[in-house]
Amino acid sequence: MVDDQERTRCLATTRAGAQCKNLALSDMEYCHVHAVVAADPDGADPSGADNAPASSAPDEASTAPSEPELRRQMAAELNRMIEELEQASPDFTPPPFSPTALIDLIKQNLEQLPAPMRVDALYRLRSAVLDDDGLDMESWRDVWYLIHYWRSHHDSFFERLQGQLGSLPLPAGVAQRLGAIFNEDLLDPETWKGLWFMMSYSARYQADMVRRRFTGEYETDEWGMDWEFLDAVRPFFTFLYKYYWRVQTTGVENIPDYERALIVANHSGQLPFDGAMIGTAVLLEHPAQRLVRNLYADWFPTLPFLAPLLDKMGQSLASVENGTRLLENEELVAVYPEGYKGVGKLFKERYRLARFGRGGFVKMALKTQAPIIPTAVVGAEETYISLYKSRTLAQLTGFPYFPISLTWPWLGILGLVPLPTRWSIDFGEPLSMDAYPADAAENLVLVSQLTDQVRNIIQEMIYERLAERRSIFLG
Amino acid sequence: MGEQQVILVTGAAGYWGSRVARGLLVEPEVHVIGVDRAAAEEVEIEGLDYIQADPGNPLLAELLRVEQVKTVCHLAFEETARPNETSFEYNVMGAIKLLGACAESGVRRVVLKSSTMVYGAAPNNSAFLMEDAPLRGGRRAGYNRYRCEIESFINGFRRQAPELDITVLRFANVVGPTADTPMNRYLSNRLPPTLLGFDPMMQVIHEDDVVGALVHAAHSEVSGPFNIAADPPMPLLRILALAGRLPLPLAHPLVYRGSALLGARRVATYLPFETDYLRYRWVADLTRMRELLGFFPQHMANEALEALARHLRTAPFTERRDGHGADAEALQAIIDERRARREASDKATEQPQVEGSEHEAEDVENG
Repeated sequence: MVDDQERTRCLATTRAGAQCKNLALSDMEYCHVHAVVAADPDGADPSGADNAPASSAPDEASTAPSEPELRRQMAAELNRMIEELEQASPDFTPPPFSPTALIDLIKQNLEQLPAPMRVDALYRLRSAVLDDDGLDMESWRDVWYLIHYWRSHHDSFFERLQGQLGSLPLPAGVAQRLGAIFNEDLLDPETWKGLWFMMSYSARYQADMVRRRFTGEYETDEWGMDWEFLDAVRPFFTFLYKYYWRVQTTGVENIPDYERALIVANHSGQLPFDGAMIGTAVLLEHPAQRLVRNLYADWFPTLPFLAPLLDKMGQSLASVENGTRLLENEELVAVYPEGYKGVGKLFKERYRLARFGRGGFVKMALKTQAPIIPTAVVGAEETYISLYKSRTLAQLTGFPYFPISLTWPWLGILGLVPLPTRWSIDFGEPLSMDAYPADAAENLVLVSQLTDQVRNIIQEMIYERLAERRSIFLG
Repeated sequence: MGEQQVILVTGAAGYWGSRVARGLLVEPEVHVIGVDRAAAEEVEIEGLDYIQADPGNPLLAELLRVEQVKTVCHLAFEETARPNETSFEYNVMGAIKLLGACAESGVRRVVLKSSTMVYGAAPNNSAFLMEDAPLRGGRRAGYNRYRCEIESFINGFRRQAPELDITVLRFANVVGPTADTPMNRYLSNRLPPTLLGFDPMMQVIHEDDVVGALVHAAHSEVSGPFNIAADPPMPLLRILALAGRLPLPLAHPLVYRGSALLGARRVATYLPFETDYLRYRWVADLTRMRELLGFFPQHMANEALEALARHLRTAPFTERRDGHGADAEALQAIIDERRARREASDKATEQPQVEGSEHEAEDVENG
């Protein structure tokens, strides 16, 4: 799919707000991910002509198959709409129709389209006019009428609003700015319609969601992952990702679109926010918007609220069995082999990787032939400044470790607020496991060699990123 | 197979025993012998060859040999909330004695009913417990303690008697309109207690599928432990929602201490599980059930729970109707008895002897 040079980039933006990096499908403006999102059931409906911009109305008409049957249907549909409109406002008459006036109208409205689409629209229009099977003059007249009707109402709405704005006792600057806004798409009636539709839809959806929670009509996968719940908490993690830690992510292209892969990352920052941010990074930046299955330590299932939260977000307990099973289901799994030793590091030990467990993650990868993606998270180490680990308090509270930081436990629950450092997440080149035989997971020498190799790669990646970083808070 | 297959069902007077016996009798080539402590008149199963005996009786080996029994379904099990000596004797010692008798008398296959609760609920449980996972079941509830005892005995006994195929079916939470199981009891509370901030994944299975799986296993050629549950596993709160119940969330330290203070018997009706089972994940892996045993439950988990929910919604009304029915039957019996007596006394007035008439009246009553 990459060899096709003719194809353009996908027009959609990812959830992070960046331009999608995928190539568009051959007959669409969107890539395979966004094509589903962009598919609009109303697009195929000819009734969309009355509220579409001028140039796209004939454009749409011309894309219809040239069978006379379809054309007749469309003309009938247009006539019906005109009748309805005439009934709604009988005093409306459009300016006299002429081909030059129509061309002028198209010129005026063409500017609303992005550049590549303009040329395309003009080509289609020309073929629609020249082609004998194209629209007849009657249909052009109908289109003319509809466009003018829509424009006249559109303009009067603007004028009314601007008139009201002038009468309001506002400072000159504000009124001017508001007026500028009113001239833009923000006060396009379509925008408001869209907004109304979205708001009423989301209100209905949320009411329905609450109802279904009580009647049990919701689905989780066998691990407990709940997409609706994930969508509900996603804005919080997106906020942390984009605005709090301003995460800079590189190398998402190293993560496959569909196949299994094992992300191996360093662990830091006292609380496992780094796992959440890796998951958010892949969800926001990767074109396939994959869900990362983080494997967590066995302390978390004992904690109220956190245990079901992790389950519903698709995470599961760290064990070779669970990891292998997830990878066999072609999932994207993330592990943090440093474990408590990594996450509970003192401030003075930061960015020096701890021992990488007992190599369980390599066994998972070898068993399932999943590529290992070494990943370095920089910035999470400084979110808490842990000065000392208290063994006594850990035993008393049942925590696996009890850090004493600048703020915790002195400020109580406020001490848990992390510092807004600037993070970076680098996904490295994948290490393929295909070269090793299926029983290589039993070879303990190989397992420990690979463990060290992955550890060294991640350590190097961290040093590289640290060398580039100028400021902890500004990156 | 030309000759008639003989299957012995222990606990045939109990709920599971009688249902499995009926399920086995569907096949015409099967001769089913039922053994239980109840009197023969109480067991009304057509075609069942019922014998009143204790399943732990040493003479059972003799019976197995005489009848040339090849398959035994051991379903004599008392579900008790609290461990005590009599139920230990009946459940654990009974199973051990029966397995010993089977090994000595040429029985080829024994099928037992167990529960996935024997794995125990723990924070470090694997997400899907395979059949070879360690048995760390809670030991406070009587039924679970006995099942763990029996299972660990079987693990050793497999080596002692390798020619005897022992199939243990570990069922997930059994739900359904008729069975009396911990999960059914838990869900019949108006407000079933849950632990605040915990929502573990759980599996359920419909009671009909339990019977189906036991019958399937009795005819099957494979052996060993099998997890049996319906798809999909779901969070506890969804199970409650599907059963039409609102949860009563309680802080978990309170529940741990409270259930210890209140004592097992009081808690047993309200909270039939040990607290850990409402806290941690104990979902069993079903690969062996599907691929080796070849058993597929007929009810999805949500269908099983909807069946229970329908029962729970109608239960307050149907119970009263059953009461009326029972009244009518009892009254009819009394009327019949009196009519017989009246007829007898009418006869007696024709004849001079009064004593004879009384005898006749009794005869009519018994007839």
